[in-house]
Amino acid sequence: MIKKKITIKNSSGLHARPSAALVKTASKFTSDFFIHFYGYKVNGKSILGVMTLAAEHGAELELEFEGSDEKEAMKTITELIDNKFGLKDE
Amino acid sequence: MSEIESVDHKIISGIPGNSGIAIGNIVCINNKRRKVLPKSISVSEIDFHLNNFKDGRTALVAELSDMLEYLDAQSGSIIETQKQIVLDSEVEKRVESMIKDELLSSDFAVYKTFCDFIERLKESGSELFRQRIVDLENLRDRFIDVICDDEKSFSIKKGTILVTKELSPAELVTLHADGLSGLVMEKGGITSHAALIAQSLEIPCIVSAKNATSKAFNTKGILDGREGLLILEPEKEMLDSYKTKLKKLKKTQKRLLDNINEPSLTKSGTEFFLSANIEFESELNQLKKYNATNIGLLRTEGLLFSNKTEFDDQIRFYESVLSSTEGSVTFRLFDVGGDKLNAKIPEEANPFLGWRGIRMLLDEKDLLETQLKALLICAGKNKGRVKILIPMVSVEEEILQLKKIITKLQQDLSNSGHKIDNKVALGAMIEVPSAALNAEKLTEHLDFMSIGTNDLTQYTMAVDRGNEKICSLYQQQHPSLWKLIKITADASAKTNTEIAVCGELSGNVLGACGLIGLGIRNLSMISNAIPKVKEELISHNDSEFKELAESFLAASNTKQIKEKFEDWRVH
Repeated sequence: MIKKKITIKNSSGLHARPSAALVKTASKFTSDFFIHFYGYKVNGKSILGVMTLAAEHGAELELEFEGSDEKEAMKTITELIDNKFGLKDE
Repeated sequence: MSEIESVDHKIISGIPGNSGIAIGNIVCINNKRRKVLPKSISVSEIDFHLNNFKDGRTALVAELSDMLEYLDAQSGSIIETQKQIVLDSEVEKRVESMIKDELLSSDFAVYKTFCDFIERLKESGSELFRQRIVDLENLRDRFIDVICDDEKSFSIKKGTILVTKELSPAELVTLHADGLSGLVMEKGGITSHAALIAQSLEIPCIVSAKNATSKAFNTKGILDGREGLLILEPEKEMLDSYKTKLKKLKKTQKRLLDNINEPSLTKSGTEFFLSANIEFESELNQLKKYNATNIGLLRTEGLLFSNKTEFDDQIRFYESVLSSTEGSVTFRLFDVGGDKLNAKIPEEANPFLGWRGIRMLLDEKDLLETQLKALLICAGKNKGRVKILIPMVSVEEEILQLKKIITKLQQDLSNSGHKIDNKVALGAMIEVPSAALNAEKLTEHLDFMSIGTNDLTQYTMAVDRGNEKICSLYQQQHPSLWKLIKITADASAKTNTEIAVCGELSGNVLGACGLIGLGIRNLSMISNAIPKVKEELISHNDSEFKELAESFLAASNTKQIKEKFEDWRVH
């Protein structure tokens, strides 16, 4: 199992479409993926789970991966968040 | 309008969405927030409820996918997200566990699962996220509606006037088939998808009718689409006056429809051809009604939006269109911007000046060749009836490159034993000023040209019609447009190349008269515009049309053109 702390950079936070992008990407990997935030732990492959974190701009999340492709998953997801989900900032 | 409203609560007013009168029984759906009560089930019912959940989910995803056909990319991505939520693995896990372990019914399990997530969002206290709650509640209620399919909350009989908060395009199409006669919606503007579809299906419609669902009740009523009024329980005099109006309206429509069977000749005996613009299969039955033998513009983008770009899907759609008429069909190649593709492309600063139409197709060879191959095979089976139209041509090279690809594909098809049509007609959309100005040269490589006045207006006036601040500049009838059309029409006459117009201008009476005056005889339009255009075109002689067109070319602004037309029409 590997963990990593990361900050949400896009201005609107993890609202519907960024959540959708995150879940879509995470679902490509076989590793389990959880997000820890404010004492909550949600399944990172569940869009409703991710959305209900209500993580806004500047929120610090802890990502947790466990499985055979955990390193690759962590790298890809980190890039996605750092690139503001490839969406234009709204 | 607000005055009437305050003195008489039996009148509901809104914005006219589509003109016309409907008299009938009102059905009001006040889709209130659902409350679903916990229902216990027995162990033997578990499988039934698990299947019920899964079937409902499949149906809801299918419904959302169907909606994509009617939406642009922005709204489409919202629907895609909704699909993802419906298919969420956590939702599945929780619902199934509630059914299996807690022995709760499927509708309540779905309700409770969504409510739990909604509660969490509410607790978060984040304003931005609170706005999402309404979306989730709507989705939850729709999900439960679908699961409880057998308890449909409303049914409509032929002639019903429906009052509702909002309606999806897919629902409207279904209701139309059931005989809906009028529609009142609380939400939506005149360009909302439901309103546009109401116009195309000729359903009288009112939009933005505030609080309509709380004011209306199930009774007899009159919908006046032109004034944007719904009258509940009308007095006898009012009803009689509307019955007379409706009769008159029907008479006019009948007269216009009778004209439909008259020969399409101007008073001087010059023949003209009115054909239909078509996008969806559901519009095909309108062809016979309006006596349109040719489809002057078949939009194929619907295939892209509904992910039906596989070769077999395309063949099926094209064959269905070809079998609906005996005339020719002008198939416009996928006319979209790169943002509509799944390909990851960087966002463009100016998408309408960007990678779209033929510019995009020439780079996306697989997409282009699959479509061309499907069209060429259909052309081989329906000789002389398939015409191919290239969108957004700006320079000659684009036509030449496309021709090369077509020649090669024809060769391949012929070698592999397919019938081909060696003379399949190739045309270019004239919708970029450079193409209009250079039309004479372009005709060397073309069998026909089709002027797309909507985009030509946008590119000539440098105006985005969707931008509220400047949309008054979007003037399809501006003298500059008439000048560009004249250049194109002259090029067509000089080189003996067929020419058509397929934009909104041709479905407009003023526009159609001016175009005929410039010598353009092929006009393609939304099919329900055919009667009124035909009525005008058979009522004047050629020299009158010519004189009108000359006055348009000499005008300094759009206002003068409109005045000239009104003058001309009465004299």
